[in-house]
Parts: sequence; structure tokens; C-alpha cells
Amino acid sequence: MNWFKLQTLAGLLLIIHSANLPVAADEIKLTHDGNIKRDPLFIHEGKTLVYSYDQREDLIRAVQIPMDDLSSAPEPLFGEERSHQTEIAFSPDGRYVSFDQCTGNLTGKLVIRDLESEKEVSISHSGRGAYRTPTFTPDGQRVIYAFAEKGPMQLWSVNLEGKDKQQVTEIEGMTHWPGFTPDGKRLVFSNSREHNYEIYIRDTDGSNETRLTNNRLMDIRPRVSPDGKRICFVSTRDGNYEVYVMNLDGSRVVRVTNNSERDDYPNWHPNSQQLVYVSERDGQMDLYLVDVPPAESAPEVHTR
Amino acid sequence: MLGFGSFKAQDCSGPTRRSFIKTAAAVPFTVGSTHQVLQAAQAAQQEGRVKSVIVLWLWGGPSHIDTFDPKPDAPMEYRGPFGTIPTKTSGMHFTELLPKMASRSDKFTVIRSMVTTNGGHPGAGTVGLTGYEENAGPIQPNFGAIVAKDRGSTEALPPFFYVGRGIPRDLPRRIEGYGGGTLGKAYDPFLVRADERGHVSIPQLDLLEGITPKRIQNRKALLNQLDNARRQLDSAGIEQWNRTHQSAYGLLADAEARQAFDLTQESDKTRGRYGQTTFGQGCLLARRLAEARVPYIQVNWSEYVETFSPNCDFGWDTHIFNFELLQDRHCPILDRAYSALIDDLQDRGMLDETLLIAMGEFGRTPRISNRAAREHHQHCYFSIWAGGGIEPGRCIGESDPRAEHPITRPITPLQVGTTIAELCGIGAKRRAELKVLDGGSLIHELV
Repeated sequence: MNWFKLQTLAGLLLIIHSANLPVAADEIKLTHDGNIKRDPLFIHEGKTLVYSYDQREDLIRAVQIPMDDLSSAPEPLFGEERSHQTEIAFSPDGRYVSFDQCTGNLTGKLVIRDLESEKEVSISHSGRGAYRTPTFTPDGQRVIYAFAEKGPMQLWSVNLEGKDKQQVTEIEGMTHWPGFTPDGKRLVFSNSREHNYEIYIRDTDGSNETRLTNNRLMDIRPRVSPDGKRICFVSTRDGNYEVYVMNLDGSRVVRVTNNSERDDYPNWHPNSQQLVYVSERDGQMDLYLVDVPPAESAPEVHTR
Repeated sequence: MLGFGSFKAQDCSGPTRRSFIKTAAAVPFTVGSTHQVLQAAQAAQQEGRVKSVIVLWLWGGPSHIDTFDPKPDAPMEYRGPFGTIPTKTSGMHFTELLPKMASRSDKFTVIRSMVTTNGGHPGAGTVGLTGYEENAGPIQPNFGAIVAKDRGSTEALPPFFYVGRGIPRDLPRRIEGYGGGTLGKAYDPFLVRADERGHVSIPQLDLLEGITPKRIQNRKALLNQLDNARRQLDSAGIEQWNRTHQSAYGLLADAEARQAFDLTQESDKTRGRYGQTTFGQGCLLARRLAEARVPYIQVNWSEYVETFSPNCDFGWDTHIFNFELLQDRHCPILDRAYSALIDDLQDRGMLDETLLIAMGEFGRTPRISNRAAREHHQHCYFSIWAGGGIEPGRCIGESDPRAEHPITRPITPLQVGTTIAELCGIGAKRRAELKVLDGGSLIHELV
């Protein structure tokens, strides 16, 4: 075997070896149990990771793990052991937490809990609809969420006492996943009025709405980066659930993940340079932390 | 890992002394030659082209319009938020929630014109699994019990399995048509469950809890313990008592039968293809049971229909969170597990002799509810058929532009059961002898 062939063989072996690596070089695998997971987010300036997972085959529970000891067992975020707990959101100062809680059949509720006083309120609407995707306004004074009161999901907001309820959107189709720019002036969300979920941005007073995505498959779970420059989201435009990032005006769409299985539920690290997301690999769902390519250096793979 | 009752025994090296004594001591030693029985069963099976039936029972009523029968041109209040994708079947689209199944539609046939007579879960469950209403007379046998009765038992493995957490139910009650019905409790399903990590257990043997090796060493204590166990089991019926223990003995004594439960014999890659979910691993277990020539295996998506209630295991009854749960949970799990199963059956050369059916008890209202979800809808739903010599890559039946009613000939659960029986070699004459599926007609496109 000559040197060229040896070099070729070594190169091939390197490629094969690299292909078998469980995670890419710019990724960190954060969990290893493989259970179904969702809704990761960072709190405590990125020192703690919160997420919901299937604790049992009949219970979804919110847990937390410290980022400096990822091998530790996840700690329950709340004491309640008999309720589903999903879509956790913390106020900017960390004092309040809001989440979807389900304690019985068709009895979902949206909880706002003051972690200092340990008091909590539940949002009250007529009907037994489903509350979804709470998030705090950047000033920490209100919670905005999705709820279906008379048909399609719309966005609503309440103050921290669960009062002063206001309907934020009145749009055809389903409206989900509200989020704000850090200055609180712009609202990002997904809506399905154009036959599938697309991402929109508008002023918080409802004016100046712009459609940021435009393809025939879903664009969901938009989240504005802490520095207010980019939006991460999930789309099935390339055949399965993948994580993407785009600028606030919808330009420079960058595909962040490229796995043959599902990549979903992205959320920003406080440094605005990394994303945590749920990735299904070989049938196991775990959390990964990935570096986000800078917008200016990354190839633009799709327009909208 | 295989658990008998709540006790786990390593089955790679056979049962431990403890687990063997625990069950063998409690059963009458009446099992004949497994080999002879297997030969007889195999000869009987040659009459039908289908050796095993696997039913994926999508309990709770999956939305047809959000999955296999989308209507993208329907009005906003009907069509839902999901885009559609082409499949490998000409002219047939699924929603974007099912990409793996869409890319495999050349391996199965979809019926879009199913109707049923009952709009409540337990009632519709009985209709879906027996062909008849619960109040139409004595409870009729589950289709699996009919096949089990016709094929007989190998004694090493029961002929009719439920893979799942328990008998399908909603919060108020379980369905009546889950088992032997008029054929007797001897043809009830044998329940086995696989958790999301592939640990397999047999909950029925929990009744023997307390028979420990220490007590077995003391003959008097053992007899007392057995009496207690017998009394407990008597309440479940003596036929069931015998069959449970004969089956348990068979499972422990027959190495080949035991291996059918051992998911650790599968590679990590294979187990991963099915997904780390109870339904995914249940589908893998079903494939192994079919490989072991079990005639009928029903994989239950969940025990409870309730979709998002603590202590209920995420059924398809999406009165709330319909779109959210289909997108986040149900469809990804189904898409993955079904695709893995059909690939696996095909790769192993088993698909022609295995009939694979996926269906629920009804569909969901095409008009979106005030809760941004969908309610029960018995007037139109789907079933999916593969293997068993059925010509794949077709769409049978058509619904109206809003998916509310079939515009072609409606197909009923009684026809489903009759067609299953026919494909298993249980023809009209034999059905009459068994006094089952009276009045049922065939789905002619499938036979």
C-alpha cells in the first residue's frame, strides 16, 4: 500500500470516526437519561437549567439542574407531585414563575407564583380551554399567554395578580408562543392563518405587523435573543424538526441543527451566543447546548 | 430485563431460582410437549396467509383531519394549523406531523371512510374491537379472541396478547369488549407491558406477590400462601387462574418463549429506532411476539383515553391541546414507532405473513371547538393496513371536503373484524361455527 492510499484510508477512518461521534464539537450534551423532554430554559444567569420531562409514563414534571454539576439528579422545581407542569417562565428578576399546570382531566390552569411570598394565582377564563406558552413582559409587570376562549387560540395578558385581563390579539387561526424584544416594544409570535404556522412581529400596540417567515410548513416557537438581535425558532421546512436562527427582520436565516431526528424547543443562553434545545437521537431525547453561528459569517440557507 | 409480577429476573441467562420456584411451585404441572403443540399450531396457521396480527390501538380517538386525512382547502374553522406533505402514494397527502410515515406510504394502505355507531369511548372501544355495541346482547369477543380460539394456544405463549399498561378505559370505566366475550375468559388477552426503557413485566402475576423462596422452603407456609393466592385468583375466575399460571409456567420453562420478551436481545440501534417511549418499545415487543408466532397482539397506545390528565397516560382524546399535543407528542411518537415497526417487519421478511393495522375507536370533529381543539366524531375516521398480502400504496375511501362524512361506501368495525378473520383463514363457515362476526362483510379491497 503506497503513501497516498494510506493517507486516503486514514482520512476515511477519520471521517467515519467523526461521523460516529455522539455530538458535534460545538455542542455539549447536558442530559443523558433519554426521557421525553421539553421547554428548557436558563435561570440564575445561566447557572441553572430548568426543563420539563416525563418523570413517569403518566406525569410531566418540571425540574432543575445546576450547570456546574450536570451529573447531579434533577431536582423537582415545585413540590406538587400530582400535576403536569410545562412551559415554565420566570420573570426577569426571578421572583415570579408562571407555568401551565394540569391537575385533573380538562382542568388545565395557568399559574403565576410569587417565589418570595409563596403565594400564587390562577388565571380565570370562561370555559375549560387550554392555557399555553406564558411569558413575562420585559418589565416583569405582566404575563402574556395563549388561550382559546371562543374558538382559536389568542394572546391575552394579565398583571401579576392575575387581574386586569386584556386580549392582545384577535386574529384568525391559532396564535402561540408570544415573546418580546428586550425593550418591550415589539411582540413576536406564531400564527396559522396562512394555512400553517408562520412567525410574525408587531409593535406591542398591534401596529406595524410583519410576517417574518414564508414557507408551506410550520415555523414555530420563536424566541428573541437576550441581546434582542436574533430570533431562534423551529421549522420542518427541511423534512423534520430543526432549529433555525434569523435576524429580527427575518433575514439571514441560519439552520443551527442538522440531525436526521427531531430537534425542538430551542431557547437562548443569557450570553445570546448559545442555544439549549431538545434533540432526539437514536430514539432518546436529551438536552444539548450548541453554539450559534454569527449571522454575518453563516451562509444564508433560506430566505424566510 | 423481564419481570414476573413485580419481581425482575434476568432472562439473558434464564430465570433465577427464585423466580422459577415462585411461579412453578404455584402451577399444576399439566403442560405437555411444547414442541408437539407448536407443530400443531403451525399446521393450523397454514390455512390462512396471515400468521400474526398486530393491532396498534390508538385509544382515545385520533384526529383524522390533522393526520391522515387533511383538508387544506377547508375553511379556517375546520382545517387546523398544520401544513400538508405529499406521500409516496399518488395524490395522497398527510399533515407535516407524519413525515416518516409519508415516506413509507408505499408499504401500507389507508382507509379514509371508516364510520362507527358509538360516540363514547368505552362503547366505541367495544364496537371497534368486537364489531358490536355493548348493549346489543352478550359482549362479543375481541377480534383477537376469535383468532386465539381458532388457532389455539401453543401453551408456551398465549395466543392473544395485550401490550400496554392495562385494559383500555376512560376515567369512569373500562371497555367491555376487551377480551373473550362469548368465547369465554379463557380467550381474554394476556397482558404484558414494556416501559420506555424496554423493561418488560407481566402485571397479572402481581397476584402471586408474597410467595417468596423462604416461604417455599417451608411446605406448610407455602400451602397456606398458595391457598391465599388461589382465593385471590378465584375472584378473577378459575379459567383465568389456570391460564395465567400455565402461561407463566410456559414462559419460564420454555427458553424460546422466554426470549420473545427479552428486548435486551435487540441492538441499541434497533431499540432506538422505535423510540424511548412505552408505545415504541411496545411495538418492538409486538414484533418479537409475532416472530415467536403469537397469533394476535394488540398494542395499546395508552390505558386511559384522557390526553392530559395526571395519572393518565396521554391517550388521543384531545378535547384540549389537540393541536399542541399532536405536534409535540403523539404524532412524533406514532410516526417513529410505526415506521420502525413496518421497516423491521419488512427487513425480516415478516411483512407478508403479518397483518399490521393501526386504528382508534373514532375520529374527531373536523370543526374546531371553542377550546381550539376537537371533540368525538364517529362519522368519519381512518384505519391503516399493511402486510398480510394486502396490496400496499393505496388510499381506500374518501371523505367529503370537510372530512365530516365519507362520500364513498362507509367501512365499519364489523367489516374490519370480518376481514381480519378472513385473512387469518377463518372463513365464513368457521365464523359460523364459532358463532362470531354474524352479519359481517369483507372489505373487498383488502382480501
